[in-house]
Amino acid sequence: MRSRSRNIENTEADAINVSPLIDVVFILLIFFIVSATFVTLPGIEVTRPQAVTGKALEKNAVIFALSGKNEIKYAGSSVQLEEIPGLVEQASKDKGKPVVIQVDQWADASILAKIVAQARKKSAVVSIATRKPRT
Amino acid sequence: MRRRLVQEPERTEINVSPLIDMVFILLIFFIVATSFVNEVGITPKHKDTASSSNNLEEPLAFDLPASGQLLQNGMSIGIEQVAPLVRSNPGEKAPSVLVRVSPGARAGLATQVMDQAMLGGAQAVKLSPLAQ
Repeated sequence: MRSRSRNIENTEADAINVSPLIDVVFILLIFFIVSATFVTLPGIEVTRPQAVTGKALEKNAVIFALSGKNEIKYAGSSVQLEEIPGLVEQASKDKGKPVVIQVDQWADASILAKIVAQARKKSAVVSIATRKPRT
Repeated sequence: MRRRLVQEPERTEINVSPLIDMVFILLIFFIVATSFVNEVGITPKHKDTASSSNNLEEPLAFDLPASGQLLQNGMSIGIEQVAPLVRSNPGEKAPSVLVRVSPGARAGLATQVMDQAMLGGAQAVKLSPLAQ
């Protein structure tokens, strides 16, 4: 008992200086606040088609996915083709966010064309996600 | 008496532990909420048909039937021939390209055709679905 109370006194006496820790944590916090974009992911992983002219796309975008089974996904659930303009308008909130379509390379191209046409009704920039070909 | 005076400023230190707790909670929230989406992709520029009144020429059209072939002017071509065809298009310097897809065609092939057309310098690439 006696020795324990002495131990507590000891730790109080030589407390660790936490100011550098707070500094570092604040810097990390500010970095993550600034880099946070809060995009809604479609919730499925697709095999993107290869493209050589692919460029980095806007991070803050409305993302749709077209799976290999020709299902249109948005924010984790399946949506119909007709719902797309409404969803784009809702998600972009008059800020004119671009639309990114993650398409599976084995999906039906005519459905992709219809999605692009629907998304264009509400957004000026519609991109198709690709991957860099292996060199 | 003297000893007490010396110890006085040490005793009145602000307790920073709740601050650190709060900051850590915020930090963890933002780490979890941050999604690093680094998407690479193509953005086919698209002209509205109304605004292209000066351009009455037929765009260069590629057809993708359900059989998985790539047709240009009725002839089957390979994917690597798209960029040279766009580049050597007579008349206009930068032609518009129209990719007509039938139901059953693969999106991967359609994307590659658009990619190759943009590589060939097409000013606008339009993807249009064909009815059965």
